[in-house]
Amino acid sequence: MIGNDIVDLKQAAQDSNWKRQGYLDKLFTTEEQFLISSDIQPDIMVWLLWTMKESAYKINSRESKLREFAPVRLICNNLIIRNNTATGNVCYNDKLYYTRSKIEDNYIHTIAATTTAQLDLIKIAVIKTTEHQIRIDNPSSVSHHGNYLALVYA
Amino acid sequence: MPALFLKNINLQTMSNEELIAKLKPIVANYAQDKDALENIHMDTDFIKDLKINSANLVDVVLDVEEEFDIIIDNESMERMLNVSAAIEIIEEKLAEK
Repeated sequence: MIGNDIVDLKQAAQDSNWKRQGYLDKLFTTEEQFLISSDIQPDIMVWLLWTMKESAYKINSRESKLREFAPVRLICNNLIIRNNTATGNVCYNDKLYYTRSKIEDNYIHTIAATTTAQLDLIKIAVIKTTEHQIRIDNPSSVSHHGNYLALVYA
Repeated sequence: MPALFLKNINLQTMSNEELIAKLKPIVANYAQDKDALENIHMDTDFIKDLKINSANLVDVVLDVEEEFDIIIDNESMERMLNVSAAIEIIEEKLAEK
């Protein structure tokens, strides 16, 4: 099973004030908060880590059929950023998920899978549209935010 | 602190309807489905019904903490996905005060 998550950076800046007192504590571990505070672009790091957590959570909740809002227990590890791509993994409820992210000027998109082999096979379509109900060729996972729609295929 | 004491007593004896009425303006700031917001009830789901963005769910939690002067620990936050869970948590935390 695969997951994905997209954040429209303009929309996120409008909708969320992550500098709000207590905000980061409820979403990120101490180590993740350190990555954010030490980054030259803390906004990017906030939403990069967030899409990693969300994409892993989507796999887990679909498999377990359980829902919860436990962002701090979705733990991002081994994050490596090179140019505009990032790889890492997310640990959640004793399961490990591998992630790969694309950091663009206007959005961040992350895909997640249970193996790196599966991650390699994922095909991605990111479409600039507010028509969030659009579907093409039965995608395995869908994410939309602001002006962007992401469809991914296993 | 008699004034604060009285405020707490009032909050503790609030009915579900009164608690929903206090919760509604908070979630209204983030709800994208305004019809679901108008018809808010105990079973209303923050994400599925009100279409609150998951990154804004933490704002709901922080706003509730401020409004009711309580602290919502992460364990409680994990299940705060709908109105009835939120109200249960608010009542628990008010009772602990």
